[in-house]
Amino acid sequence: MMDKLKLGVFELTDCGGCALNLLFLYERLFDLLEFYEIEEFHMATSLSGEGHYDVALVTGTVSTRRDLDLLKEARNRSEYLIALGTCATHGSVQGSVELPIREKLKAVYGDESNPMHALDPKPVVEYVAVDFALPGCPYDKREAFQALIDIAKGIEPVKKDYPVCIECKLNEYECVLVKKGLPCLGPITLGGCNAVCVRSGLGCIGCRGPLPGEVNPASEYEILKSKGYDDEYIVRKFKTFARWEP
Amino acid sequence: MRYIKLPSENFETFFNSLKEWGKVYGPVKKGSIYSFQEVDEVAELALDYTRTILPPKKFFVRPRDTMFRLKDGRWENGVEGEKFVLFGLHSCDIHGLKILDRVYLNEPVDPYYKARRDAALIVGISCMPDEYCFCKSLGTHFAMDGFDLFLHELPDGWLVRIGSVRGHEIAWENEELFEDVTDEDLKHFKEFEDRRANAFQKEIPQEGLADMLDLAYNSPVWKDYAEKCLACGNCNMVCPTCRCYEVCDRWVDAYSSVRERRYDSCFMESHGLVAGGHNFRPTRLDRFRHRYYCKSYFDPSAGFNCVGCGRCDEFCPAGIEHVKVLEEVRGSLR
Repeated sequence: MMDKLKLGVFELTDCGGCALNLLFLYERLFDLLEFYEIEEFHMATSLSGEGHYDVALVTGTVSTRRDLDLLKEARNRSEYLIALGTCATHGSVQGSVELPIREKLKAVYGDESNPMHALDPKPVVEYVAVDFALPGCPYDKREAFQALIDIAKGIEPVKKDYPVCIECKLNEYECVLVKKGLPCLGPITLGGCNAVCVRSGLGCIGCRGPLPGEVNPASEYEILKSKGYDDEYIVRKFKTFARWEP
Repeated sequence: MRYIKLPSENFETFFNSLKEWGKVYGPVKKGSIYSFQEVDEVAELALDYTRTILPPKKFFVRPRDTMFRLKDGRWENGVEGEKFVLFGLHSCDIHGLKILDRVYLNEPVDPYYKARRDAALIVGISCMPDEYCFCKSLGTHFAMDGFDLFLHELPDGWLVRIGSVRGHEIAWENEELFEDVTDEDLKHFKEFEDRRANAFQKEIPQEGLADMLDLAYNSPVWKDYAEKCLACGNCNMVCPTCRCYEVCDRWVDAYSSVRERRYDSCFMESHGLVAGGHNFRPTRLDRFRHRYYCKSYFDPSAGFNCVGCGRCDEFCPAGIEHVKVLEEVRGSLR
């Protein structure tokens, strides 16, 4: 039996959901442990690896000096680094506020001083090269499972290349954009979530970021406009999760 | 072709008798849309449905379809052929299946498709067009074959056309439910068909369509529509004749996996991508235009790969209309 791969899970600034989501794999976690040993994961082990990681998973945005140092450390010590979750891949909600950090501190605390060394929140992909980016707020844990097993077997994980609409139709859900006029970003948002929001009768909020490549937000904008949504609403909706692209 | 009559009062008994063949799937209403689902009782059926989101293709090439399972280091084939009944198919969808047959049943035969096709009993039903239908102009508004039984609405029951040996067998086995067709029934059948023929609001001018597309490859109309198109692939997903699929492997646990295929869409950038990094259709314009050539141009001798069901129009978020695009392209040549 070959040596197990060393896995590190690093959390930058985020809600904690993406790291926790890995534990929600439940019995599938034991399948991962057939190939991996967890060297660093503050929710799952008291170990704190000092050495080399075969695979590093990084969640959250770089929002403080501490985050940036941790990210560089993780990158320098790992073979394969996955930006996990929309914070890490696109900046997510905290990345969507478009003000310089000093102005934000002033607006919230009435004081420009910065004792925590806060930075303008940006995704992992803005600072280091990543080997794989898996977005989602949170990401689909099954997708993370597939990617980790692929890597363990020596297969490069396959990037999704289709919008949310594809999986929505595969599941034969009622189209909330066409049939209910809900503001659904499914046509321009990267799929992989199995259209879970539409399943509940909600419009896609774009949490997995824009479909890469020749995506057509201009047409989506016109469609939402024709359904009576105003400019500001649409633009804010577009920017909620993704100011940056990996 | 043998014609018999199913009086209204026997409809339910007839429907229930089909369960002997296998599970029965029919059109049911889900919110504002229709879908083919397993049906236990007649009351669940929406017999006046317009069109389902996914066409009956989903029973033969499933949206997500297991081909093989890898277990204990060995591949197991996933071919299965459990008998089932598809109840209430419209003529356009029957024609759609015939187009898929040409692809999946010609050599090399697709074993998954064939096993399910052989296991399916198909019962067609008459319909009235809505604003999206244009099957009449494509000649797919009436099915002469491709079904076992076809039910046509009469004021007091159904005129049943028998389209296969299996259909005859079912008619014999349930002889007490059927009556002979009278002249009056035939009159009502004709009246229904006339009324239906006059109810179409849309048509696709078939004449010279392939020649027109030959000349119109560089028409600016394609470009205008490619700006509007989201390339979301909804039209492909709901199309009864789209037949591309993508094959993917999925891990079930540490040591077993399944090989699955799912519907693919020619609007995805990777659809035209081949080894070496060349892409046959690198832009959205290429991909948008390709769909129209696939439906109306390639291999015209085999007929059109469109049956006029109207699904792509109904479910396009950008409101792009198939017939209108082709007419504007034709207009741009004048």
